[in-house]
Amino acid sequence: MNNNKLTVSHAPFWHDGDGLFKMNLNIMIAALPAVIFGILQFGIPALGVIALSLSSAMAWELIMNVISKKKISIGDLDSALIGLLFGMMLPATSPWWLVITGTFVAVVIGKIIFGGIGANPFNPALIGMSFLMLSWKAFFDFDAAYINYEFDFTALAPLAALKFQGPAAVAEFFPLSDLIMGKQVGAIGSTFGIGLILGGIYLILRGYIRWEITVSFIAGIIVTALCFNLANPDAYAGPMIHLFAGYTLLGAFFLATENSSSPANRIPMFLYGFFAAVMIILMRNVGVYEDGTVLAILLFNLVNPLIDNIRPKALGKGVTNA
Amino acid sequence: MIKRSFFTLSQPRLIYDSVEPDPKEPESIPIPPNLILLINEPMDNTKQALIKKGDAVKKGEKLCLYNNSNEYTISPIAGTIDDIDTFLDDFGNSSTRLVIKNEQDPESEADSETFDLKDDLASADQYLRTLPGAPPLKNLASDDVKINTIVITCTDTDLLSTTRQYVMHKFWEMIKEGAQVLKTITKVPKICITIPENSSIQGGLDSILVFKTSLEYPSNLPAMVLKDHLDMILPAGKTPEDMGVCFISAEAAVSLGKAYKTKSANFEKLLTVIGKKGAQYRVRATIGTPLDKILKTVTISANEQDRIVIGGPMKGFSTYTSQHPVQPDMDIVMIQDKNSIPEVSDDPCINCGKCLRICPTNVPVNVLVRYLEADQYDEAADRYDLDSCIECGLCAYVCTAKIPLFQYIRLGKHELLKLRADV
Repeated sequence: MNNNKLTVSHAPFWHDGDGLFKMNLNIMIAALPAVIFGILQFGIPALGVIALSLSSAMAWELIMNVISKKKISIGDLDSALIGLLFGMMLPATSPWWLVITGTFVAVVIGKIIFGGIGANPFNPALIGMSFLMLSWKAFFDFDAAYINYEFDFTALAPLAALKFQGPAAVAEFFPLSDLIMGKQVGAIGSTFGIGLILGGIYLILRGYIRWEITVSFIAGIIVTALCFNLANPDAYAGPMIHLFAGYTLLGAFFLATENSSSPANRIPMFLYGFFAAVMIILMRNVGVYEDGTVLAILLFNLVNPLIDNIRPKALGKGVTNA
Repeated sequence: MIKRSFFTLSQPRLIYDSVEPDPKEPESIPIPPNLILLINEPMDNTKQALIKKGDAVKKGEKLCLYNNSNEYTISPIAGTIDDIDTFLDDFGNSSTRLVIKNEQDPESEADSETFDLKDDLASADQYLRTLPGAPPLKNLASDDVKINTIVITCTDTDLLSTTRQYVMHKFWEMIKEGAQVLKTITKVPKICITIPENSSIQGGLDSILVFKTSLEYPSNLPAMVLKDHLDMILPAGKTPEDMGVCFISAEAAVSLGKAYKTKSANFEKLLTVIGKKGAQYRVRATIGTPLDKILKTVTISANEQDRIVIGGPMKGFSTYTSQHPVQPDMDIVMIQDKNSIPEVSDDPCINCGKCLRICPTNVPVNVLVRYLEADQYDEAADRYDLDSCIECGLCAYVCTAKIPLFQYIRLGKHELLKLRADV
């Protein structure tokens, strides 16, 4: 008789092999095409911003782990992903202190104080962004940010141009092919439309983001912008510039789909994506902001717990709100 | 272990294993020197026990602990009781463990005791509960529930197991005899049988309904069979027996038929054994055989920190001892190497929603687990459908954060039962 000690645990004894590290790594890989394009376009300062953002986000989490005497949790790459997405939303000329302050707000205030991974009610990267945009608005004027750059395309931020010069001028400056291929001024990771779309499709196919949110988000942008455009073509631009300029695609594939701040049931996902997009177009066309993506998604993060109550009836049970 | 496929836009599909087209005879395990029997009743020192250490037992003798015990076991061999002590299962429930020393003459096969079987449930329940396949005679004979449908399952409930399908292939005629016996003793009018949809078996089943079940897990679980084939929705927190439906495995039907023919019991249980690399063996072992004897025969070694899983990868349980005996309801034993055991974590839910999409009963697992982690069992059952769970284990199988969701749910149900019993 042998007396080997056996491992005793609970069912199921299989796992599909997925994990937090794998998921976050895949999302970061999917973001890479847009990031690399941004670095090529805006040069070494862009690389500096991305590297500082990613590393400082991880450092903030590590510091908080040590201070709060918790298990070191940077290994799941969640704060690395927050840092990467945050860096992608910054202009390449951001000063170092802006980046570090932003990642502090994103990681510490956006995530850790709510209880860490999975507990954040808002997308942490957007919390950091909105904080910076409201505090140091001047740094997010993309026209001013790239004043010393020379580009072989119109060096105007499309959405700002749209706001101040109207759709007619914009149609002339920004042909659709330029916008899609990233020939536009903007944040490091938000200009290369094709790259973001390819990365997003990769994530959808791998099952790491929920296609319902992305599809309804893009549908929301197109439908709402088209409605405005049809109502008054002189005042409001068509859907394509809204889709390919600003943070829209980044929002559709990487920001609105952040797990813990977005719904997980099917109907709520459609509602969430669609109305967040409607809100973006409203902010751009009616509101004062050039690009409302950050605030619109944050607003719908707030609505998420409420609409995620719309869920199918469980087997053999009546659910009052279904 | 089935891993996530690279592209997972659609659901991961877990497919039940099918029995090979021309299955080999199972390997017979010789009766070991000591058999271990479990009686589902804890020892009580205040009562005078009917059996004690050193008692001689005959093959087929019924063994009860106390005078008015409702639980019993049948000795599969002639021998003496070598030890009686308490056995704890993985949920801390205690039962009594008997060790019977084999004193049977290996040359001459001793005749089993014959039973006084009449054509009614009460007499079947007297002797036949521990037949291979564990016929649910206790439920059938109980006055609390009125059974009006019996489903004989030739489909294995958990993945990897092919024991019941093997029984279906080899003993189809005897299943029919068993169904007749069931009909006679239970007087239940409606007898159904489930077979896998790719099975070639057909015919000869007058008055028995045949359900072809899908090959995709969890379609063979009782609640899913009810839903897909009997058009019944199992109400939350109810068992199929409450609905008047009783499930009985093909092997149990076969051994019931045999028992009524010979008026004695059969003790040979068929088992699927899955090795560390997924190799499949089929063995025939006497009930009570310690598992290490079986592992030795099929040359699998259970080393330090390996895991012995009884009852399948999704719904089974792991045992702490390789001396765990073969039980009447044990269809599959699986050995996992310590390096292939997936880890669990204490990370919180990240709300990715994979569990929601895979749950066959639409339980909001992502919210439920937050209540279960905080011991809010009442709330979990009232608002977040804890009782609707049919315990398939798929949520924990796909969980990105590797939360032991299934264990939380089982614990929640267990605690809730205790809470409700206290009220």
